[in-house]
Amino acid sequence: MTSHDVRDMLDLPGEAAPRPAKKQKVAAPRPVLKGLAREVQNLGGDNPIAIVPEVSVFKKKRFGSRKPAAKWENRSFKNSARDDETLVLKHWRRKDESSAAPSGEGEAVAQDGGVVEDSTFAKYNVKVITPQYDDEQYQRHLQDNNWSKDETDYLVSLARDYDLRWPIIWDRYEYQPAINLDPETAEVAIVAKAENRTLENLKARYYTVAATMMKVHKPPESMNQAEFNLLELMQNFNPNQEKSRKQFAEAAFSRTKEEAREEESLLIELKRILARSDKLAEERRELYARLEAPPSTGNIGVFTSSQGLQQLLHQLMQADKSKKRRSIMGPDGTSPAGPSGLNQQPSFDRRESSVRESTSGPSGGSNNKKGPAQPGPTERRQLAPEEMQLYGVKIPERIPSSGPSFRSEKLQKPITSKSSVQQQKMLSVLTELGIPHRLIMPTIAVGESYEALLGGIATLIDQRKVMEKIQGEINTIKEKKRREEEERAAKMSGFGGDGVGDDRDVKVEEGEREKSAAPSMSDTGGQHKRSASVLSAVSEKSTKRQKK
Amino acid sequence: MASQTLNSSMQPTDVYGGDEVSAIILDPGYSSVRAGFAGEDTPKSFVNSHYGVNESGTVFGDDAIHNPLAALDIRNPMSKEGIVEDWDTATRLWEYSITSRLTSFKQADPRTNGLNDDLKDMDVEMDGIEEGEKPLEEHPLLMTETAWNSPKNREKSIEIAMESWGCPAFWLARNSVMAAFGAGKATALVVDVGASTASVLAIHDGLILKKSVQKSHLAGNWLSSQLRTLFETSEPKVELVPHYMIMSKSPVDAGAPAQATYRKYEKSPTDSFRALEEERVLTEFKESVVQVWPGPGRLNSNNQMGMTNLEYAKGQPGRVFEMPDGYNQMWGVERFSVSEGMFDEKAALPIPGEQPITKAQTIPEMVKASVNAVDMDLRSQLLQNIVVTGGTTLINGFTDRLNNELVAMYPSARIKIQAAGLTAERRFGSWIGGSILGSLGTFHQMWISRKEYEEFGANVVEKRCK
Ligand SMILES: Nc1ncnc2c1ncn2[C@@H]1O[C@H](COP(=O)(O)OP(=O)(O)O)[C@@H](O)[C@H]1O
Ligand SMILES: [Mg+2]
Repeated sequence: MTSHDVRDMLDLPGEAAPRPAKKQKVAAPRPVLKGLAREVQNLGGDNPIAIVPEVSVFKKKRFGSRKPAAKWENRSFKNSARDDETLVLKHWRRKDESSAAPSGEGEAVAQDGGVVEDSTFAKYNVKVITPQYDDEQYQRHLQDNNWSKDETDYLVSLARDYDLRWPIIWDRYEYQPAINLDPETAEVAIVAKAENRTLENLKARYYTVAATMMKVHKPPESMNQAEFNLLELMQNFNPNQEKSRKQFAEAAFSRTKEEAREEESLLIELKRILARSDKLAEERRELYARLEAPPSTGNIGVFTSSQGLQQLLHQLMQADKSKKRRSIMGPDGTSPAGPSGLNQQPSFDRRESSVRESTSGPSGGSNNKKGPAQPGPTERRQLAPEEMQLYGVKIPERIPSSGPSFRSEKLQKPITSKSSVQQQKMLSVLTELGIPHRLIMPTIAVGESYEALLGGIATLIDQRKVMEKIQGEINTIKEKKRREEEERAAKMSGFGGDGVGDDRDVKVEEGEREKSAAPSMSDTGGQHKRSASVLSAVSEKSTKRQKK
Repeated sequence: MASQTLNSSMQPTDVYGGDEVSAIILDPGYSSVRAGFAGEDTPKSFVNSHYGVNESGTVFGDDAIHNPLAALDIRNPMSKEGIVEDWDTATRLWEYSITSRLTSFKQADPRTNGLNDDLKDMDVEMDGIEEGEKPLEEHPLLMTETAWNSPKNREKSIEIAMESWGCPAFWLARNSVMAAFGAGKATALVVDVGASTASVLAIHDGLILKKSVQKSHLAGNWLSSQLRTLFETSEPKVELVPHYMIMSKSPVDAGAPAQATYRKYEKSPTDSFRALEEERVLTEFKESVVQVWPGPGRLNSNNQMGMTNLEYAKGQPGRVFEMPDGYNQMWGVERFSVSEGMFDEKAALPIPGEQPITKAQTIPEMVKASVNAVDMDLRSQLLQNIVVTGGTTLINGFTDRLNNELVAMYPSARIKIQAAGLTAERRFGSWIGGSILGSLGTFHQMWISRKEYEEFGANVVEKRCK
């Protein structure tokens, strides 16, 4: 059934001829595919895959800028780095315009005139310089029981041939002593040959020869730095050390699996320790940097009341939380301004982070403030007692009723719990003692001493107060007594010394009660003039008393 | 306008160091001769090393030697060690491989080059060569050789290049060094498993370390004999019938006897011809069926699951191979066990009439011996630059196994194996290295020139090509 019949049946007019013609037209521009592309296309079988083959159309040449095709010539060249410079090889090169003039005879000219160009690669040829010596120099400087001149020559020539590549020199070292000696020496020589030279042996001999000849040719005083360094290097070559180094290396190389595994685990451990110590040092440095920052000049008065303190604590917690949240940003992201925008906020903020390093929760885990630097809680492990000591980790039996608190707080408590007047007094004593108000290195030991010191200062201040009071009373009483005595000049005398003592004891008790109950009203004048030594002696005394 | 800035004064030579002088690289092996121009990425000419001899002459090349009608006696000019034994034929074979494809020497067409013609005609042609042009007058020749080539043979090579072929310059390079260059390394431990020999040796800065040279016969041909043993001993016995003997065949079920009609030849082809043709079937079998147990552990050792690797391998899917006569069979664990001997001497199938192989001949042991023969300071560097080359290393799993063996052998060293991914690059590794070396601008100062040869004699090759 032809298409004609179909058309007939369907009552379609016309010829079918145009269609195949059209088809051919479509098929014609289909590019002839080659290689892999054709194979891929063939995979589709009769119904070709709908991949639009990319027809690469070349840019039409612009006839305007068309130049004659570049001329190439098979040009001869030689290489001056060769021993035999007569070898002339040919390579294809663009013909330069100037020599292209005689067109086609360039090559002939080059060959006839002997102006064969040199290879551009000749310059890369470098050779090592090996020591030179003559017979007489050898006799004078280079004699060695283990080495004949012949063998030394052989060694030096190998060193030159193999450009001082020692593994190869050693590999190819096959010294055959000359046989034409008289039998006796020949025997000796054979014995000498039998002892296999080690690589170190060869190196040592070569360096000795080279160093000696260097000195012979040029005294060390007149050498330049590079030469002298080389000389030093060669003279300091120690074959035994090299040998034992290689023995070590060999032992390490031929370890068993178990040994290798053990060493690997040790190495990992070491790495961890090093990483930790790095981190520690880093944190310490950071801490110092923070402490050395200019002390905050802001007013801390706000925080002197317990209410203010509570607020500050709140602020800090807030900052801490937000810091944790921001931890991906890195530890140096700026902390959000505290709610009150206090100017000492940053310093407290920093302080908080540095204190936290030595703080740890009851879990005893490494409680670090730096999120990103920390591999995470997976690294948690039990600390050894020494480490606990080092980091100041304590595991209380039970959580104190007051809840967790900062140790820094604990440090400040003896001061901040006092009235502002007393605080002032204590701080001034500290200043007098040359002790900073905020500890530079608040380790646990330092903290404890500091606490004890503060206790001492407090006692001292109390004592002083009491003393002043008593002094005042004594004065009053003395005055009274004097007046009374004046009044009843001739009358009988009154009080005795015992009474005064009793009275004072009572007053002390009174004073202590007073101190803890209400702010004292004693003045501060003149205190600063006391010498530090006296004070420290007193504080020591008071500390002792406190211990009791 | 743009083309003007990129004019001829800009020589790309400074960039990649190439400066081609149309040198020819000739890499003869036991199984094939590879020849081509320096700077190209595969050899243009690839010729079977086997040649055929009948009463009318000698024929070279795959087009001629596989003709069963010619009653050819098949020979190989190379010894089992991979070095030349028959110099006269080797020379002609190489000449054929060069002139048939490469040079514009007038004998380029194999039909008229005289090599495949009657002896009388050929003599005439040879005379023509002698008096007139020589095939390589225009081309420096870089030839490769095995690391254990004898000094006599080396001198012979330069004599042929200079005297018979008229080369302007010549160089003789170790094929393992070239393989390392081909892999882009000047310091390497080269593991080359070809047809007749497997070798392991260390290279430092482009020079072989002679003490480290290790070689054994556990290579392609040995694997073929393992396959023959396997066919002989399997139940039912597998007949190895080469293609030329089959007239027609009809499909049969797996394991069922073959149903084929065989060709009859008036003058039955020689045994050596049959061996050559059998070898082709075996190579096909190697390419498609044989596999090396990739490790870890040996095929016969236990794995963590408490069973031997052999049992595990039994569970792996097998492969079907159809022999030329239509016999086909599923090959299971056998395809692992035939190659296992290269790594474990105890697993080798006994070959009748041959000594059992020794441990020292296995590839891991050769690596060990080779590494132990070099200076301590080089060893770890070598183990990080292991170049695997040669046709037989193409067997599936070979490099994996080698890596596993070496990791177990040197637990504290870092093992890095470099094996070309492309089949051609693996098979032609040493030719490719020669191609790179021969096209380097800095290599021009190395060539032994004709003048130097004339001045110092053939001995010059010993002095220069170390
Ligand atoms: N894909 C392959 N799988 C296994 N063996 C192969 C493969 N291709 C080639 N061979 C084998 O490799 C050997 C040839 O390797 P080659 O490196 O060319 O040897 P040579 O350098 O000695 O001529 C032959 O024995 C051949 O059977
Ligand atoms: Mg090879």
